[in-house]
Amino acid sequence: MAQPAAGQPAHLKHYFVSSDQQFDAAKMGMWLFLITEILLFSGMFVAYTVYRVWHPEVFEAASDLLDWKLGGINTLVLLGSSFTVAYGIQRIQRGDRKGLIINLLLTLLCAAIFMGIKYVEYSGKFEAGIFPGGNFAPVGDYHGHDMANYADILFLPQFFSIYFVMTGIHGFHVLVGMGVFTWLVIRSFKGDFSPEYYTPIELTGLYWHLVDIIWIFLFPLLYLI
Amino acid sequence: MLVTVFGSLIFLTILTVVSSRLDLGAFNVPLAMLIATTKAALVVGFFMALKYDNRVNSLVFAVGALFVIVFLSFTLLDTAFRGDLPNTTKGTIMEMDAAEAALQARQDAGPGAAVAPVPPPATH
Repeated sequence: MAQPAAGQPAHLKHYFVSSDQQFDAAKMGMWLFLITEILLFSGMFVAYTVYRVWHPEVFEAASDLLDWKLGGINTLVLLGSSFTVAYGIQRIQRGDRKGLIINLLLTLLCAAIFMGIKYVEYSGKFEAGIFPGGNFAPVGDYHGHDMANYADILFLPQFFSIYFVMTGIHGFHVLVGMGVFTWLVIRSFKGDFSPEYYTPIELTGLYWHLVDIIWIFLFPLLYLI
Repeated sequence: MLVTVFGSLIFLTILTVVSSRLDLGAFNVPLAMLIATTKAALVVGFFMALKYDNRVNSLVFAVGALFVIVFLSFTLLDTAFRGDLPNTTKGTIMEMDAAEAALQARQDAGPGAAVAPVPPPATH
């Protein structure tokens, strides 16, 4: 790899004119990737919409089975983590490396809380026999609902198939984000980032905000209406 | 400013929960989607800073959003209107027209008139 010319910052690749140009190119590449992510999730949102249009009453009954308090807390937690990422970027832009590390760690904490609540939700459902698709076999009592009343509702398994696929793939994105943030924390400790160079944090931030936006739509669609 | 946006997002989250507890009939779903879209716009505009960013990124995002709208609306044009059309039997449209013309001829001839029976639409 060619070394940057004398007087050029170490992060600058030789095929870019300036740091700004390199930053803008990376950012646009990230936006293009985010579009593919949006289209990945839009397939699931379209499936949700089609089945909801066909069986609206099933989806309303099913949303009563989901705990809006847990979903709501998770929404606030994820919004909080989006805030800490945005604030962390503002910190490093002003040269505050310690502030960046604290905010990245807070983001990781929020993500861990989110996954913890998701674990509680999933395990509660599995105990009540709420599995996706053909394995749907509700038993016992779930959040005060007698699951026997739900065994014969047609198309209810379909709702939970959609629920598990959408929240599952979203949760996978949260896990991936946690991995990347861990890597960013390590690099921050090493002093890799400065007001002149924080591209990986900016791009990971964009990814994280998109994961947040997906949840902003999933929460009302699955839990509330 | 980030704090203001964060506060608005919290407020909108509470608003969407409260509004879903009320029964607004047909407005439940549109209101929830309106609030969610507002929240998404705040996140995209301020947290992702698209408002202050290079315009080309806004274009990329807008094209992506456009494709989602096309995807959703054109799929619904199919699935939401299935069964609404009468000519979805196995007979072709021409055969159905012929059967209808024969029925009309029998009706015009009046009761008791001896006319050939209506041929059933051929099945394929």
